[in-house]
Amino acid sequence: MSTEHTPKEYSIFQIAINLTITCFISGIIIAGVYFISHPVAVKNAAAKEMETMQVLVPEADKFTPIEGEEDWYAAEKGGETIAYVVPGETKGYGGKIGMLVAVNADGSVIDYQILVANETPGLGDKAGKEPFKSQIIGKTSDHLVVTKDASNKEDVQAMTGATISSKAVTKGVKEAVDGVVEYVGGVK
Amino acid sequence: MNSLWSEFKKGIIAENPIFVLALSLCPALAVTSSATTSLTMGLSVMFVITMNNCVVSLIRNVVNPKVRVPVYITSIATIVTVVQLALQAYAPALYDALGIYLALIVVFAIILARAESFASKHTLIPSFFDGLGMGVGFCVALVIIGVLRELFGAGSIFGVKLLGDWYNAPLIMILPAGGFMLIGYLIGGWKMLVQHMEKKEAERSEA
Repeated sequence: MSTEHTPKEYSIFQIAINLTITCFISGIIIAGVYFISHPVAVKNAAAKEMETMQVLVPEADKFTPIEGEEDWYAAEKGGETIAYVVPGETKGYGGKIGMLVAVNADGSVIDYQILVANETPGLGDKAGKEPFKSQIIGKTSDHLVVTKDASNKEDVQAMTGATISSKAVTKGVKEAVDGVVEYVGGVK
Repeated sequence: MNSLWSEFKKGIIAENPIFVLALSLCPALAVTSSATTSLTMGLSVMFVITMNNCVVSLIRNVVNPKVRVPVYITSIATIVTVVQLALQAYAPALYDALGIYLALIVVFAIILARAESFASKHTLIPSFFDGLGMGVGFCVALVIIGVLRELFGAGSIFGVKLLGDWYNAPLIMILPAGGFMLIGYLIGGWKMLVQHMEKKEAERSEA
């Protein structure tokens, strides 16, 4: 702490100018990088979403956004809608869980994918993996209920040590399914 | 040349940011549950600390001493934002994995500490090597922790499964508590290593 810390009086104006210049330069640099990187980021995010939907509904050859519903997609095969891909959001043990749910037109779950989650590793985060996942797949809204009764084969068995995560994910999927059933009913 | 090498080397072993200076332990815990995220975090910090040391060293004579800390923070924030934008565009998966900790690099104690205590008093070249050494030290420490935690906690390294299904992974290694314990043992082990090296050094100078 030698030379540059010598006591010297600076006017507030000098100090302000110094900070202003710093921020100005910083702003220019960030704006420049953003200008280059943002289009790439947007493109990648869109590609990733398409990829996720393709995994959920492998038979589909086209995904078209549904008008009037935000982020809803109709999975089409040869021009016919075979499934709906809708976002689901629910509150788990570690905060928000965001997912994409693929639902048949008859209201049964095809598959789902958890996109954002902060569940406990090794316990709650198994909600997006087997064997829990296969319990959800194929079920309709009526049986998307979590049970702790091991003899109940109709409903969804809670994961050991992660009841809250099990319930949250099941609820999120159920809400998505209900939404689709309502939408399909409305169209008909 | 010799002194540059020692500027570089001290950050890795004798003054390792995590194991010796014990700075920035919070992110060292939070992102090290797998080796891949540890390495990305380490490399990001290495880049930021080296760049920032260079910038601070270059502008040290024009910065008004009364506002030097805000100016240094602005410089760090700019570099971090650039890293963030680049990762978001070209490695979105890693960007998601690092999450909020990437933005938190701005307030990492180690980076501001090096700017204030070293780069603001030295010329460009030594500052560069000081930053690089500290960055490499941080990165090495993070990767050691990450590899061990992933190996014990999930039976894999860099996502490659090493231990078979017979290995029933203890959950605690992935959780923060296990990270704390591991860092404790590693700090102990590091201390022994440093002492051993100093003893050898002393013997050599006596001889």
